[in-house]
Amino acid sequence: MIRSLDDISLIAGEKGPKRLAVLAPEDEEFMVAVKRSWEAGYIEPVLIGNSEKMEKLGEKVGFDISRFEKIMENDRQAISDIGIGMLFSGKLSIVSKGQIPTAYIYRSIIRAEGKASSGMTVSVVSFWEIPGLGHLTAFTDTGVSIMPDYKTKADILRNAVFLYHLLGYKKPRIVAISGQRKFGGTLDSYRDYKLLRKAAERGELGECEFVHATSFAEIFLGPRGRLRDYRDIDLAKMPHIILVPRLDTGNILCKLDFFLDVTRCSIAVTSRGAVCIPSRADFSDSIVTELAMGVVVADRLEKEVR
Amino acid sequence: MVGTFAGLIDAAREKAVKRRLAISSIKKPDLEIISRAAKEGLIVPLLVGDGIAAEAMVKKSHLASLEYEIMDVKVSGGSLQAAVALVREGRADMLMRGAEDLKTFMNTVLDTRTGLLKDKLASYISVFQLPKSDKLILVTDTFVNNYPGVTEKQAILEHAIKLAGLLGIEAPNVAVLAAIEQINPSIPSTLDAAVLSKMSERRQFGNVFVEGPLDIDCALSHVAAGRKGIKSVVTGNVDIYLAPEIESGYLLAESLIFVGRMEMVGVLMGMTKPVILNLPFISRENRLVEIALASLL
Repeated sequence: MIRSLDDISLIAGEKGPKRLAVLAPEDEEFMVAVKRSWEAGYIEPVLIGNSEKMEKLGEKVGFDISRFEKIMENDRQAISDIGIGMLFSGKLSIVSKGQIPTAYIYRSIIRAEGKASSGMTVSVVSFWEIPGLGHLTAFTDTGVSIMPDYKTKADILRNAVFLYHLLGYKKPRIVAISGQRKFGGTLDSYRDYKLLRKAAERGELGECEFVHATSFAEIFLGPRGRLRDYRDIDLAKMPHIILVPRLDTGNILCKLDFFLDVTRCSIAVTSRGAVCIPSRADFSDSIVTELAMGVVVADRLEKEVR
Repeated sequence: MVGTFAGLIDAAREKAVKRRLAISSIKKPDLEIISRAAKEGLIVPLLVGDGIAAEAMVKKSHLASLEYEIMDVKVSGGSLQAAVALVREGRADMLMRGAEDLKTFMNTVLDTRTGLLKDKLASYISVFQLPKSDKLILVTDTFVNNYPGVTEKQAILEHAIKLAGLLGIEAPNVAVLAAIEQINPSIPSTLDAAVLSKMSERRQFGNVFVEGPLDIDCALSHVAAGRKGIKSVVTGNVDIYLAPEIESGYLLAESLIFVGRMEMVGVLMGMTKPVILNLPFISRENRLVEIALASLL
């Protein structure tokens, strides 16, 4: 079982290099991350974007990119379509977002899934490594579905459970969180929680354990508990997979790494492989980890028929 | 400017006016907190409910040697109504939830006819003390309104601006949070944020800088915002975080408490008098701070 992002880096070094398309590495942090990932043996990059910008950046960060395949393209949507097209046609194992808005990539993936008639609900899993926890925890969907309904949420959970199985977690603990309080009526997310709980009991979400809680207070204190002292918070109770009720919530929570002592790493699950989704605001350390995660997931996907 | 929870207690003490705090159907853990607040000179407790039971409880506590009052209410379920009436009629200055369940308590205090609601809506502000810094940040609405529209968000923001003013934060920076920093008509929170931001630009909130939509990375980091092409005085230096709806607000506050272990107290705004909700995720130590904060309103 992969317990930390250090484990991920180690395995990526062993299983790499994998062919990875970087969509518009037109920013210093991204180019540095590509350089470091190549040096670590994780990736063999295919660079797609504005050639002049990439050349200049390569020079600036001391990275000779002449040895790599480059595809010149300026249009953001075209860059994304080319990279995702290569993934879906099996020409490479992984795609990573560069300095390009995520919406273009999701559009490309959704179109490609449609063409492939995969029936796949595309979703993003954002992992957190919390110091001292001993397992990875993840929020999902943090990227695609704005206000998912029950059916979409079930698909999103199945994607995440599948991903956790790939990482060696036989029975990940999952929780569907909600803004439900003890007053204020019943929220749709709470209704979905109850339906998902039943679906989990019927085995419809894959091998997993469904936690009977809808908030962090309930996860850590139980349904009627009271926080007495911060030292009483037992982080080991943190579930593996946290289903968020909507995109706003997911994006806000998963990027709290800018505030808290956690490390984030996001990946989109598609029917044909991994797509790394670093934020355009991420720094190279974080991007290198995301690329390593992509390599590990791609490697395990190659061995696993879903 | 008050920058720490200790500073909040000091500020409340310096007011030198003991507030009469009504609490109905008191429980033992609440009595401990009330006793501490009374000892600190912040309040005079007014216990409303079964008088004999309350007196017996007080006798075994530190409150016995301090100033307090008991109002005996024998009618079952009537103590909350009586406590609210005391506050409404000015015979008490603040209200704190005792043994009542949250739903009953909220429905009672928010009743437009017999409750304590002053504004068109109430909102809840989570006040966090930033670790290793003398700065308080406000996150709202984290408990009351489920899916506020832009009109409601305006009211919620005005509550937060008011509290910021009471804490001495002049010209607060406000981040209106959303999933992304770009305006996307498919994501309603980004539209609301843009409207509030424009209202601020036209000085409709006074000397306040409202930026939105902002995703949380842009709100938290000036450098991250810069990499996404956003230049604003707000990014990386936010005083007020306005959540898009309750799912995000409530869960954001809880994440900061349980994962970030950040100290939090809360305050209900929009009421005629301060109301303390006595929520389960406020630590024992911070409950005293919460009383101090309420007494500043």
